Amino acid sequence: MNRRLKDLASEGADVTVVNPGARHNTAVGLLHPCKIDIRGSVGYYSASLMDGPEVTIDGNAGWGLGENMMSGRIVLSRDAGASAASTIRGGEVFVGGNAGARAGISMKGGTLVVRGSAGFLTGFMMQKGRIIVCGDVGEAVGDSMYEGVIYVAGSIGSLGNDAVLEDVSEDELLDVWGTLESYGVEERPVFAKIVSGRRLYHLDSLERLEKSAI
Amino acid sequence: MVMPNSQVWSPWVIDDIHAKAELGRYRIRGFSTFQKVTHFDDLTFLSTGLTRFPLEGYKERCSTRTVLGARYAENPLALDTPIYITGMSYGALSANAKTALGRAATLTGTASCTGDGGMLDREREASEKLIYQVLPSRYGFDPRHLAQAQAIEIVVGQGAKPGTGGMLMGVKVLDEIAEMRDLPTGIDQRSPARHPDWLGPDDLAIKIEQLREATDWSVPVHVKLGACRVADDVKLAAKAGADAVVIDSMVAGTGASAEVLLDHSGIPTVPAIVMAREALRELGLYGKVSLIVSGGIRSGADAAKALALGADAVAIGIAALIALNCNREIPGSDFMAEVGVPAGRCHHCQTGRCPVGITTQDPDLMSRLDPDEGAERVANFINSMTMEMALLTRSLGKSDVHSLEPEDLAALTVEASAMSRIPLAGTNKVFGD
Repeated sequence: MNRRLKDLASEGADVTVVNPGARHNTAVGLLHPCKIDIRGSVGYYSASLMDGPEVTIDGNAGWGLGENMMSGRIVLSRDAGASAASTIRGGEVFVGGNAGARAGISMKGGTLVVRGSAGFLTGFMMQKGRIIVCGDVGEAVGDSMYEGVIYVAGSIGSLGNDAVLEDVSEDELLDVWGTLESYGVEERPVFAKIVSGRRLYHLDSLERLEKSAI
Repeated sequence: MVMPNSQVWSPWVIDDIHAKAELGRYRIRGFSTFQKVTHFDDLTFLSTGLTRFPLEGYKERCSTRTVLGARYAENPLALDTPIYITGMSYGALSANAKTALGRAATLTGTASCTGDGGMLDREREASEKLIYQVLPSRYGFDPRHLAQAQAIEIVVGQGAKPGTGGMLMGVKVLDEIAEMRDLPTGIDQRSPARHPDWLGPDDLAIKIEQLREATDWSVPVHVKLGACRVADDVKLAAKAGADAVVIDSMVAGTGASAEVLLDHSGIPTVPAIVMAREALRELGLYGKVSLIVSGGIRSGADAAKALALGADAVAIGIAALIALNCNREIPGSDFMAEVGVPAGRCHHCQTGRCPVGITTQDPDLMSRLDPDEGAERVANFINSMTMEMALLTRSLGKSDVHSLEPEDLAALTVEASAMSRIPLAGTNKVFGD
């Protein structure tokens, strides 16, 4: 199926996938802008390793939804398993329901929006980008993150190692609300903002002998 | 005889305590373990006599052609030698070093490998056969680069520091490296130890399928493991669908690691090969899943012994860097002044002050390494190793390096016998049986 999708994507076609059967690796490796409408639930790594496509999924998704996307957009109507939007470098992922553990782990850019709640270690080792969670997040949110921002409207299970709360500016709030509006979310919740405390950025890397020489 | 110092509280133990008392943290360095471990020098070949005839050592044909990853891949990795250049990142290494290694691989009909930090354009252009690593960090990972690769290597662990991720000190995380890795400039980068999107072998099977789907099942998928619980890990990787398993032993090199991991984790190369071979044999997959080993391969003799023990190929790292002039004074260098130790005793890759331009991002230092000259030196070294392998193989009466087998070896120590399952020289006994 992926070979057929790649052929159609390279032609810039609009494609509808029916009865996906929750198969793993649905719509993988698509590197051309196109529109793909998947009508049903999908398994692990759906719409992953892609650059450019707009994918809508009417159902649930397994682990690694959109993994390492470079650009494009994924709109999932229901719940996502663990590691949604992991390592994405650009584009946007919208989860209409809840997301599992490690949502947005190692993100390097782009935006993840979770309409519901997200699990533990959300934003773990996140490097860049934005995570917006309209519900609650679990334990250790933002653990060991480098840069990037996590916005949470609901309760926070706990902050991860070196994650800290920071004030949200009015401009930021307007920006987040604008993003939500683009996905048809009309509520305007107030968000807490989580960023890196930057206490883990540096070790003293040189020893005595090296210091004397360098 | 009276020892000049305590064997327990040796001068280097005392120095280690002093260093930690100053630093207040674990020590970090490059290179390899300093532990003395059983290695290939503890094995010897049983060349021909009256029981079998040799081939002409310098003339008759001896094949070194090597095909890796033919289990599922449409286009397995076909090499002219069973020696390729292991993954070392652009970041740990300079662009000139990566380019030289890529060119050397092309000159010798073999492959090089990207390392942690993404694919450098110059390396891609230089290396005709490039293995693209999929690491826990996914720094610089790009599906377009994946689509250009001749093989894919999922890195589960690294022999020098199994159970933890890569390390790149801030002095080497300059703007270009930081941009490629999506990191803040100048931070001490510590890569994740776990993959972000899969946890166990069942997930790995789906991950492997994802990479195959992204590349149309055309290229092999290797799984690289730090050598620890080798038998179980190899079985799980093979069952998950790997085309090749790469075992990286405790002797393997690194550009930066906590010293405590370098010296106190993993197992040596010799037993790792044997455990991996037996694990594949138990599954009926020996010869179907390729077995590649790395860690302390210094010569054609080491490589030949690795093949005799059961490997299909070896990967070299430190040896290739030494061929590039690592630990050698060259015009313009001054090891004592620049890293505080004489050439031959440098393991300061993590400082980014490499006097010969290999493990640095400093433009002045990097200019000391000419990529063309370096490529020729590494190519000469790989060719020398390949010739040494062929010479040994012919001396055993064989015409293909892949015909080497355990019966061609004898062990020189009881420990080597026990670890390699090879009889101790002068006996018919395998110790530990």
